[in-house]
Amino acid sequence: MSDIRKSWLRSATIGTSILLTLFIVILLLLIVTKPTPDALYASITSPEIQFAIFMSLGTSIISTILCILIAVPAAYALARYSFFGKGVVNAFLDMPLALPPLVAGLGLLLFFGTTGFGNALADMGLVFVFTPLGIIAAQFFVNFPYMLRIMRSTFESISTRYEFVAKTLGCTDLQAVWRVTLPMAGSGFFAASVITWAKGIGEFGAALLIAGAIQWKTETLPIALFLNMSCGNLNMAISAATILIIICIVSLYIFERYGGASRL
Amino acid sequence: MLHTENLSKDMGEFVLRNVTLDITHGEYLVIIGPTGAGKTILLETIAGFYPPDSGKIIMDGRDITNIPPKDRNICMVYQDYMLFPHLTVEENIGFGLKSRKKEPEYIRKKTVEMARLLSIDHLLHRKPDTLSGGEQQRAAIARSLVMEPNLLLLDEPLSALDGQTRDKLRAELRRIHDITNVTVVHITHNFEEVFSLADRVAIMNKGEIVQIGDPDEVFRKPESEFIAAFTGMENIFKGRCSHQDGISAIKIDGHIIYSVTCSGEREVYATIRPEDILLSKDPILSSARNSFKGRITDINNNGMVIKVTIDVGIPVVSIMTRRGWDELQMDEREEVYLTFKASAVHVF
Repeated sequence: MSDIRKSWLRSATIGTSILLTLFIVILLLLIVTKPTPDALYASITSPEIQFAIFMSLGTSIISTILCILIAVPAAYALARYSFFGKGVVNAFLDMPLALPPLVAGLGLLLFFGTTGFGNALADMGLVFVFTPLGIIAAQFFVNFPYMLRIMRSTFESISTRYEFVAKTLGCTDLQAVWRVTLPMAGSGFFAASVITWAKGIGEFGAALLIAGAIQWKTETLPIALFLNMSCGNLNMAISAATILIIICIVSLYIFERYGGASRL
Repeated sequence: MLHTENLSKDMGEFVLRNVTLDITHGEYLVIIGPTGAGKTILLETIAGFYPPDSGKIIMDGRDITNIPPKDRNICMVYQDYMLFPHLTVEENIGFGLKSRKKEPEYIRKKTVEMARLLSIDHLLHRKPDTLSGGEQQRAAIARSLVMEPNLLLLDEPLSALDGQTRDKLRAELRRIHDITNVTVVHITHNFEEVFSLADRVAIMNKGEIVQIGDPDEVFRKPESEFIAAFTGMENIFKGRCSHQDGISAIKIDGHIIYSVTCSGEREVYATIRPEDILLSKDPILSSARNSFKGRITDINNNGMVIKVTIDVGIPVVSIMTRRGWDELQMDEREEVYLTFKASAVHVF
């Protein structure tokens, strides 16, 4: 006899979700509780990790700003206008999301290292191969689709009629976007910036290929984690991981809190 | 004032076909038509949101077909208000004047003035999402009117409001039009708005204006079957409301219809739903206030129901069930009594 108060489906599926949650919590706790608090503190304040924090913050902030400058206008176009080849453009712009970062990094390495354009940039002093500039390029390429997708859906959720009305009230096309659409897209924009930045901080694969993993030169937090792990400095590796975990939790919270209608 | 010439636009789902329209200064034109008739796209094309595929728009002698919306001084109010949610009511109303780079003091003065006209001056510091639908629409109307537009376009401005708010704001629109004398094009699918607001009414179907004229004329003399079916309101009478014996009476071509809803001494329209009119061979003694004697002029049997037209000096239509009709055993040109309650008379 089955009893409607005891649904097996309910118990089984809820049980699965709780097990998964526990699994994640255990992993995180294992990492942060491995060294003693004193050792963790010492590693975090060590010059190398300080350098990595600085390098990560610098590159991720610059790459996020680049994503904003380039992906926001593109997202607006994809949300508002219809044009020939829009489907193809949409598909390709989402591509870096699915592309393995190592492959993206390989492409960037070839682009900046072997083409005339890359060489011309290098001659102008913009060297991307094995430099922090390469990290920025890698973060930008791998993460702009997050900015693009969130902003596209944010713009799509704002009726074009707001812009119509603004134009009857004396705005040019650009003013209507600036005074009405962008302010209305505020929370989506904030969420998109936070997630793009957080993904930038964590970027490893593409950066590894184009910028290399060079201690004291292109050493971001993930690279520091990788390098220290490779040579057995467990405490240093874990301190980098701990900082990454904190950034991840904070940015996820902000994203959920302010993301509104926009989801990936 | 505004003249559109063979205006056409194909947007796939909605089309506009050869719309030629003349709107005179200070006129209140109501456009009515079924969903998908192209009403909104007509307004949006006049406002300049898209270029027409062909045709011209002339305003005060100037060809404005290809000039941007901001230089037309045509304002638009939508059904769902479209107030800017990140701005206060005051900033919303002052938005256009700010675009025109007016002095902050001037903007403040004009905004308050306009808010007062629409009775929302106590809401100026509020954000739109804290306002009721009626208040939001007042704010949207104020935001347009403060621009002193050459032409005000209203896209179903009352459709999102509940009954009472709608009646109030409808009266308000009329008052504002009387005060400002602004030229208005108002889209609706509500017949009451036509009769209480329109100087002229245009009927739109499948992207075309199919008939335009005085509301009375259009509703009484529909030029096509579509218009007749669409306007399909039987028993519309224009008359004068007055009070008699403690109840409202409407005088229509010498006949008196009693009603419970009309008030004041004024011109009104009265409608009676055909199914509310009872037919009988002999006069009925009942509490119903309205009783007339007339002659059947037309019988239309569509299987389900019978539609009978009776001439009582004015033509009145009654609808009855097949069974009721069979029991009545009547034919064309026979004399008949019709009865309906004062509460069945709808006045607007």
